[in-house]
Amino acid sequence: MGFWDHLWLGVAAVFTASPAFELLGLPVSTTVIMIASGFGVGIVVGATPGLAGPMAMAIALPILISVFGVSADALLPVLGFLIGIMKGATIGGAVPAILFNTPGTPDALLTTFDGYPMAKKGQARKALKAAHFASASGDTFSDLVLFTSAPFLAIMVERFLDLPEKTGLIILSLSFIAAVVGNSAAKGLISAGLGLLAAYIGKGEDFYPRLSLGQDALADGFPVVTAVLGVLILGEVFKGIEDLVRSGPQSPTRSQAVSKADSRFGWKEVVLCWPYIRTSALIGTAIGALPGIGSTLAATLGYASGRRSHARKYPDQPKFGTGRIEGVAATEAANSAVSGANLIPVLSLGIPGNAAAVFLILAMDSIGGFNPGPSVFKLQGGVVGEGINPELVVVFGIFTAMMVANALNWSLGGLFMRSVGVMAHIPKHLLLPVILLLTLTAIYVQLTSMAGVYMAIGFGLLGYFMRRVGVSVLPFVIAFILGRNLEETARQAFAATGGDVWFLFHSPIAFAFVLASVVVVTLALWRPGARKKPN
Amino acid sequence: MSARQETQTNGKARNNSALALGLALFVLALLILWVWVPLDTDSGLIEKVRRRWVIGDALAPSVAAVVLGLGGAFLALVALMGRAEPLDLSVSNVVFALAYLVLLVAAFHVMRWVGPGLVALSDQAQSYRSLRDTVPWKYLGFVSGGFLLVLASIVAVERRLSARAVLVALLAPLAIALIYDLPFDDLLLPPNGDL
Amino acid sequence: MSKLSKIITTSLFAAGMTVAGLGSAHADWTPSGPIKLIIAFAAGGGADTIARATAEEIESRKGWAILPEQVTGKGGLNAAVALTKEPADGTAIAMIVTETLGYNRVAAGAPVALGDFTPLTTVAGFQMGIVAKTEKGWASFADVIQAAKDGQAIRFGTMSPKLSDLAYLLGKANGVEFNTVQVRGGKAVMNGVQAGDLDLGFMAGIQAKGVAAGDLVNLASALSAPLAQSPEAATMSAYGVDFNADGYFAFVAPGGLSEEARQALSQAIIEVVSDPNTKAGGIIAKAFAGAKTISGGDLEALLENASQGAQGLLDASSE
Repeated sequence: MGFWDHLWLGVAAVFTASPAFELLGLPVSTTVIMIASGFGVGIVVGATPGLAGPMAMAIALPILISVFGVSADALLPVLGFLIGIMKGATIGGAVPAILFNTPGTPDALLTTFDGYPMAKKGQARKALKAAHFASASGDTFSDLVLFTSAPFLAIMVERFLDLPEKTGLIILSLSFIAAVVGNSAAKGLISAGLGLLAAYIGKGEDFYPRLSLGQDALADGFPVVTAVLGVLILGEVFKGIEDLVRSGPQSPTRSQAVSKADSRFGWKEVVLCWPYIRTSALIGTAIGALPGIGSTLAATLGYASGRRSHARKYPDQPKFGTGRIEGVAATEAANSAVSGANLIPVLSLGIPGNAAAVFLILAMDSIGGFNPGPSVFKLQGGVVGEGINPELVVVFGIFTAMMVANALNWSLGGLFMRSVGVMAHIPKHLLLPVILLLTLTAIYVQLTSMAGVYMAIGFGLLGYFMRRVGVSVLPFVIAFILGRNLEETARQAFAATGGDVWFLFHSPIAFAFVLASVVVVTLALWRPGARKKPN
Repeated sequence: MSARQETQTNGKARNNSALALGLALFVLALLILWVWVPLDTDSGLIEKVRRRWVIGDALAPSVAAVVLGLGGAFLALVALMGRAEPLDLSVSNVVFALAYLVLLVAAFHVMRWVGPGLVALSDQAQSYRSLRDTVPWKYLGFVSGGFLLVLASIVAVERRLSARAVLVALLAPLAIALIYDLPFDDLLLPPNGDL
Repeated sequence: MSKLSKIITTSLFAAGMTVAGLGSAHADWTPSGPIKLIIAFAAGGGADTIARATAEEIESRKGWAILPEQVTGKGGLNAAVALTKEPADGTAIAMIVTETLGYNRVAAGAPVALGDFTPLTTVAGFQMGIVAKTEKGWASFADVIQAAKDGQAIRFGTMSPKLSDLAYLLGKANGVEFNTVQVRGGKAVMNGVQAGDLDLGFMAGIQAKGVAAGDLVNLASALSAPLAQSPEAATMSAYGVDFNADGYFAFVAPGGLSEEARQALSQAIIEVVSDPNTKAGGIIAKAFAGAKTISGGDLEALLENASQGAQGLLDASSE
């Protein structure tokens, strides 16, 4: 079976499998409904300050798994919903940024710089339209890059990488993430080291569960949800609640009268914004493809590059930051272009690059039947019969789901986005405790054990303290997920080479990966504090 | 003066805190490497099994400890050079974390014991274990523990007991319970899986 | 289809059926509350699906409530240990593999004893073969031995310490050494063989479709008997190894379960898995060449033998 058969089956899996109901005689597939609802949820969540895409994905995942179960046909509806959230949140984040000067998601901070001044000038709708247009353009571009580059990357990996090289590649990814995330390579190493350590407790090959301190609850190690949701979500919630306890309930956000003085976003504006969107989409895509660097940095770089070229081209016009529509476009195109490209390392290498990717991998992992990595792109999947590789079908299903989400974004996203400004009024101090209870309940439902809840709370405290001392939690989470892969691959490489202690150094490619890891970490250590946070 | 201002106005204190954290983590890594891993794993770094060398269970945790130790050492080194980033951790942060932990543990203990407690008090012939899949028993623990957690959190922020807080604290656990329990036959709310 | 609608349809179906009277004392036995079903396999895998589908069918046939939960790791021993902490009144059972209470229990230094369990019944046997890709050009395991003798480094994929022992003994008996690569689970062996990271490996039924399509080949049977699908493949005794990888999925209860409860539970499980029209029975018929229900004293004897055989295998492979 060839490429087109798989593509066709993937498209069909999204549109025709398990119709939920009929609309005008046409079956509407569950997956399409899930993508649409995920997208809607994403916009709402993005528009709610204090909630971000990954948090919603984290809470949704256990619920989705309860609904759809863990059979193979659960994959596309669940992934569709999560992808919908991921995409929706990036455009939702711009809404309160423009209307109330409060970024809905961290990567929309720079949208406030020009978006809010525009709103004050009575151009709120115009700014929202520009944000939507730029966001949808950046996102679509990024997806197209994903569709074309991920298969080639995977084929290269499969052709040239054996077990020792795969071990080297995981080491390089981890080193890269530890070195570039956050503001210090030393703290990145601490975060990654803790993540690895947590991953290795209880797991292992011997029948004695290592490092379990004799506790039965630790005999199979920390369940992935306890570590990931604990550090990523609970830590953030604890910190948020403490900040509120200190500051008192936040006063309702100032409402900006949405006058319709100038809400036009037509051909003229598109032409005006296009060069900035183009550059920012490229920047966002490149950054999204690298593990560990998130959409916030993409937005910062996109905005900075736009500001520079604008100041150079039009020295006599008001600069970015005074309510320029191009500033909104440059930021939103960049942060949205991350969401497609971050699936490149996920699908072709099985390596998550950011928090959103972590939850996609977690979903694939919990449902099973799809092991992201180079083998999913094989056309010959003969072993499972009929010459179809079901994993490749899922890949095309995911691509189709992304295009469905984009189509929704282009058609309805703008309209919907302009109606969720109200979300910024939900008091955060009512929201956070409910999210806390929901997250802990979701963990319990999955693990059916109080021990799991207490583990998650423990990881939550760890995440809280890491945030307080400025240690980024992302290397922890990614090291926790990749740590077990790393050990397994290394064990296999060692055994497969007949117990060669130097297996990482005998192949030139593996050696190059290890060398690059050392260089990346050393360079990052060499210039501590060189990468200051934006402003 | 807030913790942040303190650390920013006093560069030396800032570096000292980073130095202390770095050294503490370095020592922790050494302890893991030389005490915990050797005592609590069954095989060494590499081992000869079935006449072949294989990687033992101690290798991966040792690598983790080395990464952690390197991070700690570098953090301390950067602090010694006077270039450490601020550490925004104050005593009051630690107090909050401990207080919140107490609340969480209390809430989940309420969740765990309210159901069995009420069964013991009532003249039920059956045990809570055999009632844990029946209404209303299966909701009692979850809703009361959840109520406590949400209410206490909101009150801590608002510094008063408002009707709104009580309403949210009552409705949120009820809604969550219904989300999971109504549609799904096999899912268990806390604490019913532990019995 | 949602779980909910599945439940509704199956219970409607069940309502139309009459539960066949079994004509003995255990027909009257009912559990005092919901039954906890501990599943020793990762959620979503084939074994987990069998366990959950069996439970659903019993729920609808008998009206008992069964609450499944996962306790994975350490070759099923974590689940076995968890089960021993549950009451022995028929409100807690577990699905494991016989290897858990055989080889794995013995190799782990017997953290639990056979007497801590009341075995209920097996449900299906593994079709464990030694498998390679057809494009390797090997027709039988003898060709692999020849390739190793010709100096080729052979990577042999296994998924448990017991299978690693068997791979080692296969090499030793034939004067060659394999690079045994132990991975997590049969799916990982399959992926490794597919990707070329492994040259051959043990597969416990997952290879059926690939063998039928001609992409994979069963080089040998790892069972005491030939494989149903490839009867021509010799057993390991033809290659000088007198141990085998016979193994079954089995349900067990804590030790000291009353005979009445044991009969009732075993019978309920056997009825479901032996019926190929049920979901669980259907999967078993397709992937495991039909249900194998060994129960009562036979199963006790099987576990006893497995434990003794395990000691022999451990001794042989540590030489």
